[in-house]
Amino acid sequence: MNWNVIREYIPLYVEALGLTVKIGWLGIIFSIALGLGCALVLYFKVPILQIIVKIYIELFRNTPLLVQLFFLYFGLPKLGIRITAQTCGILGLTLIGGSYMTETFRSGLSAIDDIQSESALSLGMKKYQVFFYIILPQAVSISIPGFMANIIFLLKETSVFSAISLMDLMFTAKDLIGLEYKTIEALFLLVIFYLIMLLPVSLLGTYIERRVRYAAYGD
Amino acid sequence: MKKNIFTKLVSGASAAVLVAGALVGCSNTEAATSTEETATEQAAVEEATTETASTTEEKAGNYRTLDEIKESGVINIGVFSDKSPFGYVDENGEYQGYDVYLAERIGEDLGVEINYVSTEAASRIEYLQTGKVDIILANFTVTEERAEEVDFALPYMNVALGVVSHDDNVVTSLDDLTADDEVIVISGTTAETYLEKNYPDIKLQKYDAYAEAKTAFENRNGIAWANDNTEVIAFSIENEGYEVGIPSLGSADTIAPAVTKGNETLLSWLNEELVTLGQENFFHADYEATLLDTYGADYEDTLVVENTELP
Amino acid sequence: MQLMGIELLFKGTNFLRMLNGLWVAVRISLISVVLSIGLGLVVGALMTMQNKIIKAVMRVYLEIVRIMPQMVLLFIVYFGTTRVFGINIEAEVSAIIVFTFWGTAEMGDLVRGALISIPKHQYESSEALGLGKLQTYRYVILPQTLRRLIPLSINLITRMIKTTSLVMMIGIVEVLKVTQQIIEANRRTSPDAAFGMFATVFMMYFIVCWPISLLSKHLEKRWSDR
Repeated sequence: MNWNVIREYIPLYVEALGLTVKIGWLGIIFSIALGLGCALVLYFKVPILQIIVKIYIELFRNTPLLVQLFFLYFGLPKLGIRITAQTCGILGLTLIGGSYMTETFRSGLSAIDDIQSESALSLGMKKYQVFFYIILPQAVSISIPGFMANIIFLLKETSVFSAISLMDLMFTAKDLIGLEYKTIEALFLLVIFYLIMLLPVSLLGTYIERRVRYAAYGD
Repeated sequence: MKKNIFTKLVSGASAAVLVAGALVGCSNTEAATSTEETATEQAAVEEATTETASTTEEKAGNYRTLDEIKESGVINIGVFSDKSPFGYVDENGEYQGYDVYLAERIGEDLGVEINYVSTEAASRIEYLQTGKVDIILANFTVTEERAEEVDFALPYMNVALGVVSHDDNVVTSLDDLTADDEVIVISGTTAETYLEKNYPDIKLQKYDAYAEAKTAFENRNGIAWANDNTEVIAFSIENEGYEVGIPSLGSADTIAPAVTKGNETLLSWLNEELVTLGQENFFHADYEATLLDTYGADYEDTLVVENTELP
Repeated sequence: MQLMGIELLFKGTNFLRMLNGLWVAVRISLISVVLSIGLGLVVGALMTMQNKIIKAVMRVYLEIVRIMPQMVLLFIVYFGTTRVFGINIEAEVSAIIVFTFWGTAEMGDLVRGALISIPKHQYESSEALGLGKLQTYRYVILPQTLRRLIPLSINLITRMIKTTSLVMMIGIVEVLKVTQQIIEANRRTSPDAAFGMFATVFMMYFIVCWPISLLSKHLEKRWSDR
């Protein structure tokens, strides 16, 4: 391993990390929003929309992100819908992430016993009050471990963005291998930078999961 | 309460160990220690894949000598599978093109079967250095930097760089590009290296595969596409609505077969083969069989290289 | 033109080649899942052990799998190992190694979870009923553990199949690469093929993965203890 090469490459990886984090987190925020929206549609059984949401979830949960991106980025422009690589990356991540987030959130909502809303209603609370003050807070806290798992999954999935010309960490490594043939150095930095990006999130996830578990089963 | 859960967990866990012990006992094919785990995993994997086509483990240098190739009866040749008309796959799944025409002849003269390995531009050197292929015949331009990593045989084609754009917005000089214009290149090509070095301000949009770069270019994700001029000229002729605004850029280079560094026996056989082929004007025949439809006869003499003597 | 590339499916052996490419992906995941289940049982048992060193090793192993993208692992095994150890590993074998490495961790964690989730009173009641230790495992514990594991391992199969789309990046000619080759070979006559062809690949993956994930969901519901 050549440390001079590594020193020379670090700025490139820092730049790539910036892009990866930016697209990754934008995608994650949008997918949480989309997931919440879709879960609400399913929870309240909104006619028609409910069916669309169900189809959407099944389609995107059962296909790989790489194929989705190829279709969005290379296929859609043939219909005259052209998007930049960055938009495509964010859109792709939002769509696949949204479908996972919906599932997580939906199972959180369904975990709340019906008795709770029945009792709340019988206490004279309005329907929306029951939902926002009783059901939602509990559902969100139950879903948090799932959310964290999804976030890690989505940040890992960003590694396929290289296929649509986004200069993320993976692309930087591949490009350096192809340009300067310094395979070991390029792969070493790749691992280090993914650790920098994901280890804190993963540890935080484990920590939160423990806290939530105590909240649910502790005394 | 908490303590209660804890004891439960511990007792559950210790019971679980016993269960696991029973499970391990049942299937004694599995080794149990974690250090051995990866080793067994690998062994199991290697057993599981039926298609182990010549996995070689060389001590010095990751390559197979000429004799070893002949003995195995199969040569691994790295070609493009999406760079028409030089290396591509037709609708029946057969490899075709200018490079493949040469590969077929090499296989024939060596008396071995050919195992085509589909490669991307950026993996070509990697494939040779790690012994994943014996020869690269993927339109590989000879450069000084590459020659330090692999050994090139005699050339069989001339090449320079070129830039193609949509005919309603033709780029005729790279100096005219604005800060917003992105030029499409393929990762690991000479075009990429050249632009990185000589035009560091131009924003490059990089793709792994030819198919991806071309589709992105068709979709107007970039203002122009820089690549070997042979390839961009072919693209502009074969497809409507494109014009090669810069037909020649950078130095005049050649394309040659490449082998792993130090693979003397294969290299000298290839050189002799290329001279023999030159004497029979093989590459003119190759051109007429694979490129004539695209380029017409005009480019034949500028493009083709026939070798008459050994280096 | 208006067919957007669908016509290419019927040209030559194109569609067959795509199916073949899909099979390459499915085959890699099936082999990996089988290996993962076997190794996962061992690793899961190890995870429940109290030995500090084993615990630490398992923790690091799980964490690596949790945070390293599979693509990074693929590159390390495919390109890195040759560089460092001089061992040439074929692309498909590399993919199986990486997927098994990943699957074993997931299965191991599931096995661990399933093992410790069996309440203590079951062991006690079995004992009270006069069952021996082995009988308890054979008739009480094992069936429940497997019942919990099967839906989850089926779910792992679909996730592996989806992840196999990445193996294109290490040069395996699977369905996406075949599709690119077809688009490339027909660029002149079908310039809009990217739409129809990638839509087809999308649907192919869906048709393979959807029934499997439905099955997993169904089994999970049917066999859940609640």
